[in-house]
Amino acid sequence: MAISLELYDLTKMFPADRSSESVVVINGFHCRIEKGQFVSIVGPSGCGKTTILRIIAGLESATSGQVLLDGKAVTKRDERVGLVFQEFALYPWRTTIQNIEMGLEIKGMAKKDRTSAAMEYIRNFGLDGFENRYPKELSGGMKQRVAIARTLIVNPEVVLMDEPFGSLDSQTRNDMQDFLMDVWIRRKDTILFVTHNVDEAVYLSERIFVLSERPTRVLRRFDLDAPRPRDRTGEESNRVRREILNLLADSKRNLFQSV
Amino acid sequence: MRHTRNVLAIFILSLLLTGHTPAHADEKPVRMAYLQNDIHHLAFWVALEKDFFRDEGVSVEVAGIFRAGPEIMTAFAAGALDMAYVGEAPATTAVANKAVDVVAVAQVNTEGSALVVAREASGMDSVADLEGKTVAVPGHSTVQDFLLKKALSKAMADKQADMGKVNIIVVKPPEMIGALRTGQIDAFVAWEPYPSKASTLGIGRNLATSHDIWPGHPCCVLVSSSVFIGKASDRVLGVLRAHVKATEYIGAHPEEALQIGVKYTGMDAKTVETAMKNVHYTYELNVEGEKEYVEFLSELKYIKVPDAGAFTERFLRPDMLKSLQPQ
Amino acid sequence: MKWKRFLPPLVVVAVWQGLCLLELIPAFKLPSPVSVALGLKDLIVVGMPPGHPLQTHIGYSLYRVFLGYGFAVIIGVPMGIAMGWSSKLRDAIGPLIEMVRPIPPLAWIPIAILWFGIGTPSAAFIIFLGAFFPILLNTVSGVLSIDKLLIEAARTLNATNRDVFLKILVPGSVPAIMTGLRIGIGIGWMTLVAAEFTGVKQGYGLGYMIMTARDIQRPDEIIAGMLVIGVIGLGIDWGLRLWERRLIRWR
Repeated sequence: MAISLELYDLTKMFPADRSSESVVVINGFHCRIEKGQFVSIVGPSGCGKTTILRIIAGLESATSGQVLLDGKAVTKRDERVGLVFQEFALYPWRTTIQNIEMGLEIKGMAKKDRTSAAMEYIRNFGLDGFENRYPKELSGGMKQRVAIARTLIVNPEVVLMDEPFGSLDSQTRNDMQDFLMDVWIRRKDTILFVTHNVDEAVYLSERIFVLSERPTRVLRRFDLDAPRPRDRTGEESNRVRREILNLLADSKRNLFQSV
Repeated sequence: MRHTRNVLAIFILSLLLTGHTPAHADEKPVRMAYLQNDIHHLAFWVALEKDFFRDEGVSVEVAGIFRAGPEIMTAFAAGALDMAYVGEAPATTAVANKAVDVVAVAQVNTEGSALVVAREASGMDSVADLEGKTVAVPGHSTVQDFLLKKALSKAMADKQADMGKVNIIVVKPPEMIGALRTGQIDAFVAWEPYPSKASTLGIGRNLATSHDIWPGHPCCVLVSSSVFIGKASDRVLGVLRAHVKATEYIGAHPEEALQIGVKYTGMDAKTVETAMKNVHYTYELNVEGEKEYVEFLSELKYIKVPDAGAFTERFLRPDMLKSLQPQ
Repeated sequence: MKWKRFLPPLVVVAVWQGLCLLELIPAFKLPSPVSVALGLKDLIVVGMPPGHPLQTHIGYSLYRVFLGYGFAVIIGVPMGIAMGWSSKLRDAIGPLIEMVRPIPPLAWIPIAILWFGIGTPSAAFIIFLGAFFPILLNTVSGVLSIDKLLIEAARTLNATNRDVFLKILVPGSVPAIMTGLRIGIGIGWMTLVAAEFTGVKQGYGLGYMIMTARDIQRPDEIIAGMLVIGVIGLGIDWGLRLWERRLIRWR
């Protein structure tokens, strides 16, 4: 059952060391995601989008601020949060089905049950015939499908995705977006999706947070109403895309001017 | 294919370069060797100390001090020695297996070894009691190995025990006493002064001496490479004369000989004195004894010599001693 | 055709035999291939020392090597994984390891005899020392080289430390461990002859056999023995590579 996720005044600062001064990466980030929403975070490289996800996933800690799951603050790794990595992070020594089963194995589920659960994902995700292959034998798109299956099979209540299609070529990328849309429409997970690709965010999400350069804060929030799956060249999509791109260009210009 | 050819060329070149050593100039000293702390080789030490070699007009250098006979024979094979004091058994083995071409020009001593067991050991009063025990020798085909096997085969012939069950291992003499003390071995056979040393240290006692096992058996000989005799027989004779003189000197001046023995073994006077009592210094070659070595070594399958007599005639050179006669 | 690979060694043997026939090299310095082959026959039929056949020597040597090597694996692999996992442990033990590692196993012989006596335990100890360090260090390196991302991915799947250890560290470092195992057995087998020079109470062992052949002045048997050691070492390495290939199908 999906839950809501709220980030309140999140700040991340890296303290000064021998080689550099202290760096404020994220400065007072707020956002709220209702359950079942597909929300994207868009921003320039290095603006800390990945750091935000890692803080929510419990892989890093915030300097100050709060992460609230279902209204309650969490400070460490919570098993209700899942994370899909840009680099897939598949286990090379495990076959497709073994990779997908990983989370269930950790939970202690019996082999028979694990296998049947994983096989369902294999069928639904178009991985038939590849269940006993190793990652090195899979294409980029397939690998990411395995990674997503691996995360979803344990039914996390919040799914974080860190530029999951960043390593794919544009054709595969578009296919994967359709695939993800399909999956989300069926399951309605709460998804927080990070990307620097504006088209992608506009295609997939109902809410987009646009981030500034460092020190990062929210420049603007966009809400989109067009039903999904969307027309990539629809009127609302075009308008929002244009506005976001302008925002980002301005933000960059300001950065250069202030330098 | 070119790569292979280059490898071959280098291989052949290096073999040819190491295969031949140039003939030595006559001014170079005679390269000799003896065994570490082997009181049998006292004559050599006496000749060195008393300058007997120089008196005979020969210059001599100690080219090596070795830990066991087989090592000396390997040094001969490598062309590193001209003459040496060495056990008759390893020399015979090396010549019979065609590893070296040396001949024995004089005896050095007879007897002079002992089979030693731990002083505290109970139930060890005869060779038969060695059944199932571990005995150390300085090397395979040494005189001591020979003596042990001879003693064992006698005990077996007397049907006193199953000698096949004796565990014979190789330990270098300097390590034997320590091994006996810590119980790693139950007994050892070594040349003097090691048995006497074990006794004075209170660690070991003689179970049997050479004299008990094979009275009057030849032990060490003075050998020379055949090549060297061919090139420099006059120098061989010079060394021989010094050896005879030194051997007689030991009999005539035992006190002084003792001091020299102490110097070269680094052991105390009491040990060396006891050791010398067990050794009989002589230079006359024992032909029958050598034949027995050859036959026994063949039996042990260390060598393949069908005609022991013919071999002995080639290996022993009493004619060289005889040529010294009008002295 | 594969036989081309055997051409260079065959040529070497032929030239070697030719040089000996022409007596360009004295027989006792380098026995001819033919006499080495005959020496091998003697080692099997008569034995060196006589009555101690080659087969039994091989058995004892293999036993000693696998004893020493076995301990090196049992201690080295878990220790390597632990050290790879814990930087504290690495900092604590690392310098000690680096200090002991350069000491050649053979230098330990006098101590080994003092501690373990003459015989199999001291020989196995020397072999252990030879095999242990490559196994340990390759294992540590294997663990350290595991992509941190894989561990983080496991964390997001709610893995405990035990899960990470068993499901990621161990399988992930298998390739490096296998490399360490292969290097370790190579060095262990190489150390064998010298280790057996310490004296072997049982009177059996390939090193002991070669030492005795030296005493009895049988260079043909010495070289035959060396060839046996080389061939066995090759066989072991080959076997390990086969196993490795089967184990690591995912590369």
